[in-house]
Amino acid sequence: MSNTALKRLVVAHLRGSVESFELPFEKGRNLTVIYGENGTGKSTICDALELLSKGKISSLDNRGLGKTNKYWPTLSKTSTDISVVLETASGSCRATFVKNDVVVHPAEARPRVEVLRRGQILGLVEALPSERYTTISRFIDVSGVEKSETALRKLISDLNNNREIAVARILENIGAIEQFWAADGTPGTSAIVWAKAEVAREIQADDPELAALQALQQAYTRLSSYPARLAESAQVLQRARAAAEDAQQAATSYLQSVAQDAGEVMAVLQAARDYLGKHAGPSVCPLCESTAAVQGLAQRIEQRLQAFATLSTIQGRQRSAAEAQQQAEQKARLLAEEAQQDALAFNAIRGGFAWSPELVLPSLPAPDAVARLELWLTATAELPDMWRQAATARQDRRQFLTTLRGAVQTFEENVQGQDELSALLPNLQHALEIVEETRKTFTDTLLRAIASDVGRMYEAVHPGEGLNQIKLALDAGRRASLEIGTTFGGKADLPPQAYFSQSHLDTLGLCVFLALAALDEPSTTILVLDDVLASVDEPHVDRLIRMLYDEAARFRHCIITTHYGPWRHKLRWGWLRNDQCQFVELSRWSRTAGISVIRSVPEVERLRALLAESPPDPQLVCAKAGVILEAALDFLTQLYECSVPRRAEPRYTLGELLPAVKGKLRKTLKVEVQNGNDAAGAPSYATVQLEPILNELDRIAQTRNVVGCHFNAISFDLLDSDALVFGHCVLALIEALADPAAGWPRNSKSGMYWANAGETRRLHPLRQPS
Amino acid sequence: MSTPPSTETPAQALARQIMERLVAKRLISADEATKLQPKLAEGKLSAEDWRLAVELVREQEATP
Repeated sequence: MSNTALKRLVVAHLRGSVESFELPFEKGRNLTVIYGENGTGKSTICDALELLSKGKISSLDNRGLGKTNKYWPTLSKTSTDISVVLETASGSCRATFVKNDVVVHPAEARPRVEVLRRGQILGLVEALPSERYTTISRFIDVSGVEKSETALRKLISDLNNNREIAVARILENIGAIEQFWAADGTPGTSAIVWAKAEVAREIQADDPELAALQALQQAYTRLSSYPARLAESAQVLQRARAAAEDAQQAATSYLQSVAQDAGEVMAVLQAARDYLGKHAGPSVCPLCESTAAVQGLAQRIEQRLQAFATLSTIQGRQRSAAEAQQQAEQKARLLAEEAQQDALAFNAIRGGFAWSPELVLPSLPAPDAVARLELWLTATAELPDMWRQAATARQDRRQFLTTLRGAVQTFEENVQGQDELSALLPNLQHALEIVEETRKTFTDTLLRAIASDVGRMYEAVHPGEGLNQIKLALDAGRRASLEIGTTFGGKADLPPQAYFSQSHLDTLGLCVFLALAALDEPSTTILVLDDVLASVDEPHVDRLIRMLYDEAARFRHCIITTHYGPWRHKLRWGWLRNDQCQFVELSRWSRTAGISVIRSVPEVERLRALLAESPPDPQLVCAKAGVILEAALDFLTQLYECSVPRRAEPRYTLGELLPAVKGKLRKTLKVEVQNGNDAAGAPSYATVQLEPILNELDRIAQTRNVVGCHFNAISFDLLDSDALVFGHCVLALIEALADPAAGWPRNSKSGMYWANAGETRRLHPLRQPS
Repeated sequence: MSTPPSTETPAQALARQIMERLVAKRLISADEATKLQPKLAEGKLSAEDWRLAVELVREQEATP
């Protein structure tokens, strides 16, 4: 942003600027006071600067117009006719419209402008705290940090909860472990020590014995099955033998009842049938080779065999019975061998493992002989139950250790988690404290600085009223809410809206605006105050104007528009210092010419100009000099409390005021007029005694009335030179008393003399001599 | 009011002050502070970011 001096503002076809309007800025003066009655175009100048800076115009806002863009161009013009150019020492910047958009070229030269209008002045003071916060938020908005702070706060809360949960779980874990400990007979010194020692053991240590025990049980179970199976096998064998014997007897009996060779004959016939089955249709008999008997041989053999059917059946049964007997004998033999092998297997398991001493095993190995097995089984019948219990105990132990290990592991994890949280949380808490404290200090410092600035300015306007204790504070209970408070009647933190007059609130709003504007690079900011003095009451206006003079120096440029008439007169009379101030007066606006500037010439300048005319006009000189002399004498008589006739209306004539400055006062009146600086840089002064000037004025004062005020034949007898001497005397007096740039000597702070701003004039004495 | 200046916003200025204090108190390392400062200002510093940053310093200090 540029901070170079403004040179010229040219506005065309924007609102009141019917024709191109030019506002030149005087070099070296960064305060421009624009005076004009209502409707002269003051706000248009403010609008132009706002348009250039922000691309918008807010003076028409809140007037029920809706979107105001269409009212921005002058009547009968369009937005594309609008042009605003600001020339500065470093170049120029122009705002125009392309379609409906404001385009500023060059964009980087766009000035920073802060505009305060009369309608907005109370906005900051009377707004709701949240709206007030919105206005000020860009200077104090740390919501991003607050959001991150909230995340940290939530983290700490969550971790505290986690730690509490971990503590509860640890207690639960300890309770569970103590139950295990109790179940194990509370060995050792504590449950935890015991549990850690237990879980350090190998859980699988008992697994081999458990497996061996299970194998032993299975082997014993197999052995246990043999007595019944052997008995059954023996019965089967016995039945097979009996059946074979019965079949043999049946065959023998049958054969005895038929031919003795029936058996052999039937065998021959069966062989012949088998042969003919393989060699069907032989040409000769295979036994006797006869061709005659071969015909129908197979049928005859079958017929004869059928005759031997009973014999065949008996013999078939005999064979089946014999085979069944053989199978039963084989099975019995195999079962005996199997029992023998299982006995060997059992003995191998029994002797092949280093059993725990408490385990009871058969005192004798399982017998090889089947005959002794049953006896052995009877002797060891109680052992399988004992082995089952032993196996169950080992399985239970294994499960116990697994559960205990889980409990100890959970316990250790929770303890570790709690330890970690206990170490982490203090650091997080400390971090949160730092974040909170730094944030509060940061915003409090900012707000205090703003409030202090507001109070300083407010005190300058309302000195000694005790209303400068302005406080701005963020509402801790509500988000984005800014409270404003003041001290009133000895009570602090009261809302000024409730106790201040409208005028005081106006001043406060203006001070708040100035304080905020000054926060943001004021040296690059053009401050525009549009008619903000309207409601300030008379006693405070002068101080407010002086305060504005002082504050304007902080900004790149300050433009104040006003329709406050006395300001114009005070500037014209030099009552206000105007060394930094350019005074611009606007004439009445017209539909053809639009906005126009009148040159506002100070009265002293006018007198000097009248005297410089060739030839000067005595009447005009006397008239102007008389008014200026009255102003000077009014100033002196009030300053020194001189005696004048008392009347209801304080209107005094020259004939009353001039004699009032008399005696010792007149003799001692002198003004030190600064005429430069000495070699050391200190100001140097020339002394002007006022008595000779006042004495000369005594002599020729009547010329003011005779020549300057009335038509009077006496004036015919007076010399023009007397009238001009009167004018020159008044000019000498006023030049001694007042500095056109620094005003009149009204300040008695030195304690020795009256001085104006910058002490370019020092008026002596301080008090009327007694 | 005009747009904020190109210089530091209030949140950025505050974030810088906070990180300087956290680093001075050895609660966050200088490297982490540099990385996390923009996130702190923008409101994007999550709970996990905070935890990791604080844990990291503890781990670094625990490492001989």
